[in-house]
Amino acid sequence: MRRYLRLLGVQLRMSVASAMAYRADFLVEGAMSAAWMAVALLPLFVLYGERDTVAGWDAPSALVVLAYFMGVRAVVEGVVNPSLVELVDRIRTGAFDYVLLKPVDAQLLVSGSRYEPWKVLDLLGAAGVAVYAFVLRGHGPEPGHLLVGLALFATGVLAMYALWILCAAASFWVVRLDNLTYLLSAIFDTARWPVQVFRGAWRIVFTFVIPVAVMTTYPAMALLGALDAGTALASAGGALALLGLSRLVWRAAIRSYTSASS
Amino acid sequence: MIRADELTKHFKVHRRKPGFAAALASVFRRRYEVVRAVENVSFRIERGERVGFLGPNGAGKTTTLKLLAGLLHPTSGAVTVDGYVPSKRPPELLGSITLVMGQKSQLIWDLPPSETYAMNRAIFDVPKAEFDATLAELTELLELGKLVDKPTRQLSLGERMKCELAAALLHRPKTLFLDEPTIGLDVAMQLAIRDFVRRYNQRHEATVLLTSHYMDDVVALCPRILVIDEGKLVHDGDLRQLVKTMDPDKRVSFTLTSEVGADELERLGAVILREGTRVTLRVVEREIPAVVGRLLGPLHVADLAIEDPPLEEILRAMFGKAREERAASEAAEAGGAT
Repeated sequence: MRRYLRLLGVQLRMSVASAMAYRADFLVEGAMSAAWMAVALLPLFVLYGERDTVAGWDAPSALVVLAYFMGVRAVVEGVVNPSLVELVDRIRTGAFDYVLLKPVDAQLLVSGSRYEPWKVLDLLGAAGVAVYAFVLRGHGPEPGHLLVGLALFATGVLAMYALWILCAAASFWVVRLDNLTYLLSAIFDTARWPVQVFRGAWRIVFTFVIPVAVMTTYPAMALLGALDAGTALASAGGALALLGLSRLVWRAAIRSYTSASS
Repeated sequence: MIRADELTKHFKVHRRKPGFAAALASVFRRRYEVVRAVENVSFRIERGERVGFLGPNGAGKTTTLKLLAGLLHPTSGAVTVDGYVPSKRPPELLGSITLVMGQKSQLIWDLPPSETYAMNRAIFDVPKAEFDATLAELTELLELGKLVDKPTRQLSLGERMKCELAAALLHRPKTLFLDEPTIGLDVAMQLAIRDFVRRYNQRHEATVLLTSHYMDDVVALCPRILVIDEGKLVHDGDLRQLVKTMDPDKRVSFTLTSEVGADELERLGAVILREGTRVTLRVVEREIPAVVGRLLGPLHVADLAIEDPPLEEILRAMFGKAREERAASEAAEAGGAT
């Protein structure tokens, strides 16, 4: 455990060092972050400009869902995505050999191999949107709800991470998976809306098959104090089950790794 | 100790003919072919040995190294390194081996090698004092100097290779798998790396298994060689023994100081080369004293040298012979079938 923490520290330090080499990126990323926030908020303002609720959600509550969406996306784009894009490149070039030669868990090693430190601005933006939503509601979340909300944020991130690992594992067999990751990003985009907005089959898909509800809707409901304990547990359990599945698929993928020729 | 028993690795690869029609057809009906990269290879390598792995391109050398390092799972057969099964990736084993691949890099491109070293220190959990001592030793042996603080992308190929070696050895591995570590390097750098590998082997009693396109690397470093061709082990033993078995004749080279007729030279041995006054003869070993006596006596030659045949020549003959034999047996089988 101590080894992994030290490794995490070194990986973070190196990513920050790399990021510092390109200082202009800080300004660009800051501007991009603000722009993305505006783009994310705009549809919500348009939608709620003419009505008070959508599928039982008022504007401040829907803003909390959006805050979770932005938060999960910040973590994915800041940690998961860069690392796994690098992984795919390593598999293609054969540099993944060096990962397998290390006496640490290969999945953990590649999952934190690269960070985009500037994405912390997006995370702060997400927190800002959440605070704004509660200002609109006129009161803050209760401490217990805050705790469950944060715990479900963590499991939501894990669920998204598990989906990325499944995609990355696919690259051991198909090598090019650009389309798969685009599809995953497009599906995740639906997580900006509460799952109740979707009807019929779509709601089932977004709850059980590609569980975007676990990533944003349920955590938001927990923070708002509107989620029962059973659903909270099922949500966390579902995320962990997905994580377990991704681990199994990853291990199978490693076994079939053929290593690019020298 | 490294132990390989009937080690076999097959790959299933998709094959199709060139052209659009074949590409379209392959979407619906795929043709696969089994490539027998390594076939029933067995050997033992004791601690501290330096062993060269030779064979033409695609012979299965790198695949065997990857099987030994645990990167690939064998199709059949067994392999152990220091008692561990490499494909299970036991941390104890991974902490005591290293694989250096001349054509692949583990250094982080945008950062100086020192950052990769810090990462490897964390990964291998090397205590600070031990890490500093090892890095100091490697810096001295490889003459790294300030290279470790230059961004990797600004290093020359030779400088990068030296830094790669240091990255691979910071945890003081006991077994070194070196796959073309001198590829693309100039002669001076090849010599430096060769010298370093020998000294590391002697200082740490490390086992070295080396593949190289440069025969000089193998001749200079490895008393024992394994020769692999089309996935099969065709020779395992002393380098000199291989030379003696394949071609027992010697090469006698000299410079003529006076005009000597072709007939006279042919009487001494088979003329392999004659360029101006420079001549190389192929001479049966037992006739060497007589031939040398004649060259130094009546013929008054200069710069006389007696050598074994070049390894490249022997291997070329060896692989060519093996292919001819296979082609002949396939032809005989085909003839018998009709």
